[in-house]
Amino acid sequence: MDIIHPLDRYLRTDRLPHIWCPGCGIGIVISAMLRAIDRHISEGHFTQDDVATVSGIGCTARATLYLNFDSAHVIHGRAIPFAIGLKVIKPNLKVIVIGGDGDIAAIGGNHLLHSARRNMDITVIMVNNMVYGMTGGQVAPTTPMKVYTTTTPYGNLEYPLNLIKLVSSLNTNYVARASVTHPHLIERYIYNALSRDGFSFIEVISICPEVFGRHIGFRNPVELFNKLKSMIKFKAKPSIDESDIVWGKEIVLGEYVNEYKSGFIKLLYGS
Amino acid sequence: MRLEYLTGNHAIAEAAIIAGLKFYAGYPITPSTEIFEYLASKLPTKGGVVLQFEDEIASINAVIGASWAGAKAMTATSGPGFSLMVEALSLAIMTETPLVLAYVMRAGPSTGIATKAGQYDVMQVRWAAHGNYELVVYAPWSVQECLDLTIKAFNVSEMLRVPVILLSDATLAHIWERVVIREPPEVSIVNRKKPKVPRDKYKPYEPEEDLVPPMACFGEGYRVLVESLTHDERGYYKATNEVQRRLVWRLVNKVLKNKHLISDSATYLVDDADYVLIAYGSTARSAYALIRELRSKGIKVGLYRPKLLWPLDEEMLINSTIKAKKVFVVENNVGVYVREISRVLRNKEVISIPIIDIEVPTPDEIFEVMKEWI
Amino acid sequence: MRYELLIAGRGGQGILLIGRVLGVAASKYSNLYVTCSESYVAETRGGDSRADLIISNNEEELDFIKVRKADIAIFMHQAQLVKFSSLVKSNGTVYVDETYVSELPSNVGWRVLRASYTKLAEREIGNIRVANMVALGHLIGTTKLINPEAVEMAIDEVVGEEWSELNKKAFRLGLNIGV
Ligand SMILES: Cc1ncc(C[n+]2csc(CCOP(=O)(O)OP(=O)(O)O)c2C)c(N)n1
Repeated sequence: MDIIHPLDRYLRTDRLPHIWCPGCGIGIVISAMLRAIDRHISEGHFTQDDVATVSGIGCTARATLYLNFDSAHVIHGRAIPFAIGLKVIKPNLKVIVIGGDGDIAAIGGNHLLHSARRNMDITVIMVNNMVYGMTGGQVAPTTPMKVYTTTTPYGNLEYPLNLIKLVSSLNTNYVARASVTHPHLIERYIYNALSRDGFSFIEVISICPEVFGRHIGFRNPVELFNKLKSMIKFKAKPSIDESDIVWGKEIVLGEYVNEYKSGFIKLLYGS
Repeated sequence: MRLEYLTGNHAIAEAAIIAGLKFYAGYPITPSTEIFEYLASKLPTKGGVVLQFEDEIASINAVIGASWAGAKAMTATSGPGFSLMVEALSLAIMTETPLVLAYVMRAGPSTGIATKAGQYDVMQVRWAAHGNYELVVYAPWSVQECLDLTIKAFNVSEMLRVPVILLSDATLAHIWERVVIREPPEVSIVNRKKPKVPRDKYKPYEPEEDLVPPMACFGEGYRVLVESLTHDERGYYKATNEVQRRLVWRLVNKVLKNKHLISDSATYLVDDADYVLIAYGSTARSAYALIRELRSKGIKVGLYRPKLLWPLDEEMLINSTIKAKKVFVVENNVGVYVREISRVLRNKEVISIPIIDIEVPTPDEIFEVMKEWI
Repeated sequence: MRYELLIAGRGGQGILLIGRVLGVAASKYSNLYVTCSESYVAETRGGDSRADLIISNNEEELDFIKVRKADIAIFMHQAQLVKFSSLVKSNGTVYVDETYVSELPSNVGWRVLRASYTKLAEREIGNIRVANMVALGHLIGTTKLINPEAVEMAIDEVVGEEWSELNKKAFRLGLNIGV
């Protein structure tokens, strides 16, 4: 296998090209994640064999198919319990769950809640494109109010779920929000998440021009990207009170919870 | 070898430990909970982990994860919980994940009577999960068999890389009986096959002659890919007829072609029997009592008792009923497994004796129906 | 040899413990086969409590899991005697706690052995909760179903250290009734 790009060693390059649409934000998240993992590996914190990635079903969840780690592409919403089974039996693994907002916060929401409550030693990366991508543009728990989707043809009547607030209210060690408009923050937060025990959660605001863009009138990826960028505000120490996403106004990035409590694994096995 | 006096649920838990269980995940539900509680106190002293999850869905998915981390893993539940688990059961079948699921049936539908018995779910257990597959299901009739068949369930799950279900019921769960406990080397314990090729040559779904692929686990450097999509031998998604056919037929055939390794049934006085009763699980105890009674009165009756409920061993069934004039199928439900028996014994008179009894059908209740036909 | 035993009384009288001790004594310390099914009303006190035991020296004789016609019965209370008397063979051996049982059916040929197990437990041991072991002792002493030493080993195992001496004392008291 010819290594063309320094991160190729973390990819099953024989499976490329990938399925994601032009302009999709998922690729930005994956490359930032690989850079964060690569930094850890080159600093000797763990090896490529120690990394496990787990995902459910969805566009985002397809990521694990392309990654050259021990990986699992399981069923919709259930990546977190699978990941816990792995981690508890092989505590040395660095277990990363990656999925869309439907996968992680809707069908998988209960598992998110309880794994955060346990401060379970896994890292969950939720790519929030505010819509169901894979199934073609249905409403998600994160879709802004009033937005027209294929299953809310008269406009979304439901208030969106603020995952930052939800997960921060639990016993977790790390909660951060990044955005595909600022890849270096994605990388930094994933690196930071992987540097500690306990539960870590990173929400990455992403763009889905193909379906979400169509719903809100930004079919052009560059325009959607710029629109998102115009809302982004970075804060070194954001407060949870300012974490609500109001589309068109402000989306605050930053590390909302940043702690080093003992994780579940330490309680289970001792140090 | 040692003697113990245990309930059916204790025996399942004890057997799991003997078989090498290292991970149990569950959500409490009557009448299965004692399995969970027994393991919660004992398994940690044997180096295993027991966790209570937020629901049955999480439990079985965690079991699948633990199995891929290399542990023998199990969960236990009853009807309402099994209904929640079926999607992941299909995942376990597709990803060829060894695990054991103890299903302790109770009276349904819905919440039904949590503490009381029934055999309503023998069809659900076989068919509830989506897709086509063969599923291995064992049904014990005594506490000793709860023990023996649980060990067998683990062995078969490891040998064929399949989920295996131990189908007990509320009656067996709570009766106490003497059991003989044998530990290795007195009893043989099977572990999954490991890869025999170098890491870069390994394919997680490439079968050997027995149609079972050797299994590498997470953290061993093989870069395994657990894939719920239709996949080729590497685990790569392929949406073609060729790959779909090859995969589905192999998943089915690896059970059917290895049937001689998993088949298990018992017969009692069938050789000269004019009438053969067919029953499984706790209800078979009642049928057996009736047969003993009728034999003492000179009536030639025998018993065929499948311990492997799914897939049914058709040859054994045919051979055991070859001379019988009539066959009776006794079940604690509205008469469902009888359909499977009738399918195989097409040219025989097969009579359903469905008796709903929240304890267990009595020999007298069975005879009440049977006497009209003999 | 195959016996069906029915033990019945009110919740709180320690019915299930009699069954448990007999089961352990027979299966672990007497090389016999046992099936025991327990039933009780969820509230511990007052409702029916019942243990059905089938004991045999031949595994093949363990069939139906419940008592169909008991060879031997213990009734610790009138209410359950009335309710379950039809489950006892007409020539069965029946033990009754006279403290709570005053009337016996007249139309059966039972061999009835009686004593005030509860009163005896109160007077001789100072604890009515071990009346069940007095009854068990009476049964073992008169039927010789199982070796008393096996039963004492089972008591040690089932009731735990703190209560085992008291229970064994009550059991011995029962063994000697009528001796
Ligand atoms: C149990 C179940 N229900 C529904 C589906 C269909 N389904 C596949 S992906 C998906 C949602 C995808 O949205 P999201 O998780 O946000 O990921 P995205 O595709 O946007 O990355 C749904 C509903 C499924 N696979 N399984």
